[in-house]
Amino acid sequence: MRIRAAVSATLASAGILLVGWQSGSHVTEAAGSSIGTSAGTTGTTGSTGASAATGSGSGSSSGTSTSGAASGSGATGSTGSTETTTSAAGAGNGSGTFAGSVSQTRFGNVQVQITVSGGKITDVTALQLTDEDRRSVAISNRAAPLLRSEVLQAQSANVQTIGGATVTSDAYLSSLQAALDAANL
Amino acid sequence: MQPISELGGSALKARTFGSMGTVISLTVPAGAAVADHELDAAVAAVERVFARLDESFSLYRPDSEASRLARGELSLREASAGMRDRYADAVGWRLMTEGAFSPERPDGVLDLSGLIKGYAIAKAGETLQSQGITDWCLNAGGDVLVMGSPVPGSGASWAAGVVDPQDRTALLSAFELGGPADLKTGTRRALATSGSAERGDHIWTAGAGGAEFTQVSVAAADIVTADVLATAIVAGGTAMLHRATDGWEIDVLAVRRDGELLATPGFRA
Repeated sequence: MRIRAAVSATLASAGILLVGWQSGSHVTEAAGSSIGTSAGTTGTTGSTGASAATGSGSGSSSGTSTSGAASGSGATGSTGSTETTTSAAGAGNGSGTFAGSVSQTRFGNVQVQITVSGGKITDVTALQLTDEDRRSVAISNRAAPLLRSEVLQAQSANVQTIGGATVTSDAYLSSLQAALDAANL
Repeated sequence: MQPISELGGSALKARTFGSMGTVISLTVPAGAAVADHELDAAVAAVERVFARLDESFSLYRPDSEASRLARGELSLREASAGMRDRYADAVGWRLMTEGAFSPERPDGVLDLSGLIKGYAIAKAGETLQSQGITDWCLNAGGDVLVMGSPVPGSGASWAAGVVDPQDRTALLSAFELGGPADLKTGTRRALATSGSAERGDHIWTAGAGGAEFTQVSVAAADIVTADVLATAIVAGGTAMLHRATDGWEIDVLAVRRDGELLATPGFRA
């Protein structure tokens, strides 16, 4: 369900971007920076994207609810946001902000947005690095070197159980777990 | 850390039995919630779970189904549904860990012992729940699965110490198991530790230089994931460690051969 929500959010933002384009207005960079962080911010995404697009066509979509925006732009969105770029090229003015298609990597979904000015890419922003189901915190949860004093400390007196590499039945007798068990038998 | 010292010495009661070459301990709060005869019945049920699985899967028993498979007297096709299911699980884990976890020894013999203890703990946990026991801690030779709290109704976590591989009479660290669910990461109910120093008989490392880590502890929502990934990280080294933390909701504490620690934020003080 969350994946579906994330996908419709993405499609909605792509659709809104496209609506912005068809109405002949440029989505500003400010809109891009607030777009599409997650499904949870869909409402914000829709309204921000739409209000940034100054065309009257997008004005009406800003008034609709999240689901309305998603279904309304679904047809355009589902054809792939790459088309956004194509249509932009077709527009021929060589400036604006474009969202790329969502690529699936083993770290999750990745989607970038480029800002083009005078036919040159002036900025690349990540709209979506991972979806919510697949560790958006992956990088920060990496195991890093720590000093012994920096890990959680404990004495056997204030834990209820002891984890460790498998002890054999013989080794158990002299283990800390055996002492704990003996205290509670 | 939630201080547990006020529990005192008599707040818990434990029962132990031997199986799978190690000792299994079941600990519950000592209050009236679980009467002694209920605890005895629960331990007996847990013991049956371990005994049944050990009977089929032990390579130390010449007459086990696993031993007959290993000797080639039986093919997987003819094996029991339980054996084939665990083999399928293990093959799935081999794929997911890109080969770091394997159900086969280097000599090609099928060996599911890296999976079966975790599976037994998980099944025993289900048995305890079905008996209506809501607060318990099950420790099988250093792999831990908990439910509820050591102080019923308090929401307090079970505190699990992690043995220091350089001094087995001391604790290196600890981890809070169970307790209130963390919305972002879910609740870690299981802690499994694999080592290359002690009885690492189901771990084969890829390099000739031996294992990079002497001990790896993994906390996860379920014991099989924790157990398999701890084994895989010992076998696969730093590369597997990073794949594991990138791909699963886990916390890891790994001890390098030189004693250096690598840890995810969940193990940080």
